[in-house]
Amino acid sequence: MNILLRSWSAYTRATARWPGLAALVPFIPVIALWVAVTESGMFPRAFLPGPVEVVKAFFSLTYRGILPDYLQDSLVRLFTGAALGMAIGIPLGILIGTSKWAHRVSWPILLFFQAIGDIAWLPILLIWFGFGLTTMTFVIVYTVLFPVVLNTVLGVESVPRDLARAARSLGASPARVLWEVTLPGALPNIITGLRNGLGYGWRALIAVEMIVGTSGIGFMMFDARRSGSVVEILLGMIILGLLWYIVDAWILAPIERATGQRWGLVTS
Amino acid sequence: MPHDIDAARPPRWLASAGGAAMFVAPLLALVLIWAIAVPLFGINPRVFPSVAAVGGAAMESIRDGTLIEHIGASLLRVGLGTLIGVVTAVPLGIAMGVSPAVSTFLTPLFRFFSVLAGIAWIPIATLWFGYGFGAIIFVIFNAVFFVVTYNTLLGVSTIPMPLRNAAASLGAGRWALLTEVLLPGALPNIVTGIRTGLGFAWRGLIAAEMIATNVGLGYMLFVARDFYRTEVIILGMIVIGAIWLLIDRLLLVPLERSTIERWGMVRRA
Amino acid sequence: MKTLELRNLKKTYFDPYAGSHVTAVHDVSLEVQQGDFVSVVGPSGCGKTTILNMVAGFIPHSGGEILLNGKAINGPGPERGVVFQSFALFPWKTVLDNVGFGPKMRGVPKAERDRIAHEYLALAGLSHAASRYPNELSGGMQQRVGVVRALANHPEVLLMDEPFASVDAQTRMTLQEELTRIWQERRPTVIFITHDVAEAVFLANRVVVLSKGRVLDQIEVALPRPRVWDDLIEDETFKRLSAQVLHMVRSA
Ligand SMILES: Nc1ncnc2c1ncn2[C@@H]1O[C@H](COP(=O)(O)OP(=O)(O)OP(=O)(O)O)[C@@H](O)[C@H]1O
Ligand SMILES: [Mg+2]
Repeated sequence: MNILLRSWSAYTRATARWPGLAALVPFIPVIALWVAVTESGMFPRAFLPGPVEVVKAFFSLTYRGILPDYLQDSLVRLFTGAALGMAIGIPLGILIGTSKWAHRVSWPILLFFQAIGDIAWLPILLIWFGFGLTTMTFVIVYTVLFPVVLNTVLGVESVPRDLARAARSLGASPARVLWEVTLPGALPNIITGLRNGLGYGWRALIAVEMIVGTSGIGFMMFDARRSGSVVEILLGMIILGLLWYIVDAWILAPIERATGQRWGLVTS
Repeated sequence: MPHDIDAARPPRWLASAGGAAMFVAPLLALVLIWAIAVPLFGINPRVFPSVAAVGGAAMESIRDGTLIEHIGASLLRVGLGTLIGVVTAVPLGIAMGVSPAVSTFLTPLFRFFSVLAGIAWIPIATLWFGYGFGAIIFVIFNAVFFVVTYNTLLGVSTIPMPLRNAAASLGAGRWALLTEVLLPGALPNIVTGIRTGLGFAWRGLIAAEMIATNVGLGYMLFVARDFYRTEVIILGMIVIGAIWLLIDRLLLVPLERSTIERWGMVRRA
Repeated sequence: MKTLELRNLKKTYFDPYAGSHVTAVHDVSLEVQQGDFVSVVGPSGCGKTTILNMVAGFIPHSGGEILLNGKAINGPGPERGVVFQSFALFPWKTVLDNVGFGPKMRGVPKAERDRIAHEYLALAGLSHAASRYPNELSGGMQQRVGVVRALANHPEVLLMDEPFASVDAQTRMTLQEELTRIWQERRPTVIFITHDVAEAVFLANRVVVLSKGRVLDQIEVALPRPRVWDDLIEDETFKRLSAQVLHMVRSA
């Protein structure tokens, strides 16, 4: 009991000083379990390789330059798609959010197109644009766009009307109200939308790379699947997980929290 | 006495019928534009089909039973995978969330896996289970499982301590604490988890069906592409959109609204 | 006959960040007779909540004894009802079901516990709100529900931790008057924790002043009942007692 208490105390103190630790330590038992299962010979190696093999594959693929290239391809695609999605989505959301009529008319359409989902677009996109960058970008922009638009609309509508009135009566022009009041007021929701959109977006990217790709992490995983190389599949999964974990937990979530909580606006 | 507030409002069925009409009208307008635009601009049916062609494809696939077969296959997979996922995730999430120390420790782990959930598992799932039913169920299951477990864990650990104490001081035992406090307290997060998880699962399903099977809506779309049958593709897209819209708006959103918002616990889109 | 007895009660917290122990309650002894009303006041951080939580059984004590009718307490139990500062109403239950929660835990059938709940809601003037959810009530109404929820379970001892701190001044006065009225009607044993010296004197038969985890002094309040603010606000004894307690708390 005492030892438990003391080690818990040590752990709490250590994680308070280095918060990254709290995200790493819990994986130690998982990796240990993984080693134990592979070492026990319960499954054939070809079915479930151990961590050592995965790390080896990581170094060899990195050394050969394949992994950095693929990673770069995937990230560039994701971020171009996200940037485009935001560039279209935020203005569109503000436009729709400021007009009751625009909202009424477009809301069902937005919900319906969001419901179709990114991946279902793939076949028709392949007919329209063939196997290539346009298809991939379209899918990602599409995926990011809807959560951003829907949440921006909600954000704009959640800004208390009196704030806009206050700004007007203090002498702000309508354009200034948009910039000084509407946009910051909607920001927490916009970021929530972006976070959701990217969450769906990178999944779409993986799917697209698997189905149409010639490069990228998704392609690497699916190519490995064809040649039966489980090591590379696992490596791909770990990289994806880590990457997204870092983006989401250390970049997006803190921004979301910072804006939403500091201003005392309730979002989520 | 509580009735006098509602007296001023229109009856519920009328209000919801009006709401439905308001909802459908813009979509019908869109179909109208589509019907006018295709012949007006002389669009090649291999690029975009006419309304009539899609209608024809719908009639044909309903008559020969293939559409129902594809829809049935997809819904069965999603239903089964989700059911297994939820049934295993909720008890696990609650069990882990009961102790604050355990839940703080495990949260990053489940966050990692919930981030990975769904599509990224397709390659390894097809390798472990072969192409077919097992692999697809696994993909859906894990999309739901990790997201729901993570959210349940989060939900239980955010229940204010005074609520647990209140129940205990009113004589609640372990079981009552579980059913009366922990489960309802975590419900907002559980429902959110199911909504998010199902969203991932539905997309994962379409992707997996394109890759790993020979029946289902995703397969229907992907095969139609080989023959440039855009009318079948568009039909499939409409069906996919309509099914998800129905599931989300008629099942998940009302579930969130009816409980959570009335309780004033959270408000969201 | 004495119901509740604290003997040399002590509490040390373990602070995982510092890795060390902090003593919040050093040595507290207190006796509360059955049907008595005791207020506990003291500066912030002197251990009031800690004592209440130990008596409620929410946290274990590190030394001494807590006896109820001569028997050591063991964890939370329905014989010690608690009214929380944060109300702690179950947001997913209607007002009626919140009040009927205690009886439900005792296995009282639905119809009977609804009757009990209605009876207690009437006591607090809340019959009209029975089918509403807590978030649809004002703060004052929520706290009334919190009080009758604890009462409906027929506790021997009622433990209240700054229950009226988060309601407005007018409502607080009404609630205080209602509490004395209900107390006279049902005569539960009450331990009432507060920051507010006037509140402590207004409500209680005895005010216990705490300082740094110890009992500084106890003052008997021999004011007549029923107590109403309109009378007491000008009352010389009330003023004198309040000043006396205030002085003690400030010098504590
Ligand atoms: N869980 C805990 N862990 C460590 N220390 C604690 C804990 N809870 C309370 N303390 C410490 O114990 C002391 C007494 O706290 P307590 O909450 O009982 O004070 P209080 O008299 O109720 O104060 P207030 O009037 O502000 O509510 C404080 O110094 C506080 O910092
Ligand atoms: Mg306190």
